[in-house]
Amino acid sequence: MKRLTGIGLLLLFCAVWTTNAQRTTSLKINEVLVINEDNFMDDYGKKYPWIEIYNSSPGTVNVAGCFLTNDINQPKMYMVPKGDVLTKISPNQHVLFWADNKATRGTFHLNFTLDSLKPNFIALFDSDGRTLIDSITVPAGQQADISYGLIEDGWDQKRLEEELRLNSGYIEKKGDKLWIYFEKVTPSSNNKILETNEKIDNFKENDSTGVGMTLTAMGVVFVGLLLLYLIFKLIGRIAVGLTHRRVMKTAGVTKEQAKGISEQSGDVYAAIAMAIYEATELHDEENTILTIKNAARHYSPWSSKIYTLREAPKR
Amino acid sequence: MNFLSFLGENLQVFWTYTGFANVTVGHGIMILVGLLFIYLAIAKEFEPMLLIPIGFGILIGNIPFKDAGLQLGIYEQGSVLNILYQGVTSGWYPPLIFLGIGAMTDFSALISNPKLMLIGAAAQFGIFGAYTLALTMGFEPNQAGAIGIIGGADGPTAIFLSSKLAPNLMGAIAISAYSYMALVPVIQPPIMRLLTNKKERLIRMKPPRVVSQTEKILFPVFGLLLTCFLVPSGLPLLGMLFFGNLLKESGVTRRLAETARGPLIDTITILLGITVGASTQATQFLTKDSILIFVLGAISFIIATTAGVLFVKFFNIFLKKDNKINPLIGNAGVSAVPDSARISQIVGLEYDPTNYLLMHAMGPNVAGVIGSAVAAGVLLGFLG
Repeated sequence: MKRLTGIGLLLLFCAVWTTNAQRTTSLKINEVLVINEDNFMDDYGKKYPWIEIYNSSPGTVNVAGCFLTNDINQPKMYMVPKGDVLTKISPNQHVLFWADNKATRGTFHLNFTLDSLKPNFIALFDSDGRTLIDSITVPAGQQADISYGLIEDGWDQKRLEEELRLNSGYIEKKGDKLWIYFEKVTPSSNNKILETNEKIDNFKENDSTGVGMTLTAMGVVFVGLLLLYLIFKLIGRIAVGLTHRRVMKTAGVTKEQAKGISEQSGDVYAAIAMAIYEATELHDEENTILTIKNAARHYSPWSSKIYTLREAPKR
Repeated sequence: MNFLSFLGENLQVFWTYTGFANVTVGHGIMILVGLLFIYLAIAKEFEPMLLIPIGFGILIGNIPFKDAGLQLGIYEQGSVLNILYQGVTSGWYPPLIFLGIGAMTDFSALISNPKLMLIGAAAQFGIFGAYTLALTMGFEPNQAGAIGIIGGADGPTAIFLSSKLAPNLMGAIAISAYSYMALVPVIQPPIMRLLTNKKERLIRMKPPRVVSQTEKILFPVFGLLLTCFLVPSGLPLLGMLFFGNLLKESGVTRRLAETARGPLIDTITILLGITVGASTQATQFLTKDSILIFVLGAISFIIATTAGVLFVKFFNIFLKKDNKINPLIGNAGVSAVPDSARISQIVGLEYDPTNYLLMHAMGPNVAGVIGSAVAAGVLLGFLG
């Protein structure tokens, strides 16, 4: 029972741990526009501030049941309604919420608005209303039609620091701030517009002959198989040592003798097995017992009688 | 309109729907290729399990028809063939094939003589030789990577990688990979003879030691952890390969292992073969790129075989006299399980009828499967 409970708990842990990666914790507040004068319009043709939520996971995440608020003391200010298919956010995609204080206009219309004169705190809480998923304070003094967003979709400080560490040219290109202003706003589309494949362009520019790729990749292949070789050389030695010890113990022989016995090749064992088989199983004269050989029938569950019969009661 | 003219018009419309009315030279050529595959499979027994489904798939894919939205062709969304083809395009057939391969592969030869793993690594030069050449021919790096993997001599890996890096070239790459795998008995022996001398061909290798059950169980576990920690992008292939092998070697999941190496791999092989074959519709397939891919595929096999054989010769310099490796097993590093190992055996027996190399060659052969999956993971990581 204890064992079963243990296995059950382990499976539960695995399930919770793996699914969490694709749950609401992957959602990010991605871009905010506080003053919408001549910008994106809602379905009613009106211009209001908007908040973009981004799904940074590789799986679809449903934002329904989560809470959006502009007041940390009221985390349950606006619950994203359940039952709307549009609240399912595809991997690396977005949804846009209108901060128009007109919640009756539909799923994506919030019951609060953003203040253009003060800093705006925005938070996304999980469906329990307690777990903070993400929050941002948009500074005061926002300009009209210029949004405030993450430097790249779904990034956090750790990811930015990693990029700054790996890519020295990043600061010159993009800067070192996680949140930046976008003159070219990108509601419901990626903050970073991909026009080319950077990886491939990089290879085209720096490794046009393929020598770099060859050296790197072959290095990795060799290292991988070399590690496997070293591990199994070690394991092999241990296994051989254990076999010697076992032979010494059971046959009562010296280490050298045990080595001789246990290092017999498979050919020798095959020859011994064949000799035993020939001596005991094969014979030139047929024995005189008549037998009725079972007729070979190809089994198929579709034609099996046993599945069409009722089972006899067991006593 | 009288009844006769109505019938006449109907027949005329019917004619426009027939294959005869829509046939082109391209269809004819592809049908001949399909027939050639079927002939090679039946008459010459070249990889019949693959060439029969692919060959027949080529016939299916090249029956000409009028594009009237009837959801017939493999590229028409919602058609039966299109639904089956999704296993190829989204890349889930190849990992299932690897599951079956893992469940049927005995890694004992490799475990008993682990240095043979390095031959499996050396033979992957074929992939990158073809990659370099493809770049010089003007292919994009991602396309070159997908083409290069033909040199891994592993059909599922080639399909998996090309579906990710260059889906538009996948048909040509898959057909090329499987064609050259079938032609291993033709391509490899001359190279092996050319690169070795008589003395080397007669090297007798130490018989492999008996490998314990524990070692066999540890192999897939360590294999997965080491290779996938190094190249996580190889996880779909390597994960399934080693999982299948653990099913086989654990000794307690016999039914699962039998399903994986029996009905499952057979089912997927049928679906994979027939859909890859059908994806070679003349309109999509008969292009200059396809011809170049076939040329590069042949070159990659030659480079891979050469690299494997030369690496063994180089390796032998550092090995003690009684530990030398027969360079005739170098070709087996190109994967193509078990055909290339069988070639080592056949060529070896030509020079010494009592020198059986098959078991030794199986070592680099299965190492080649791991090596090509790692190489595919590296290419996917860099170019995906």
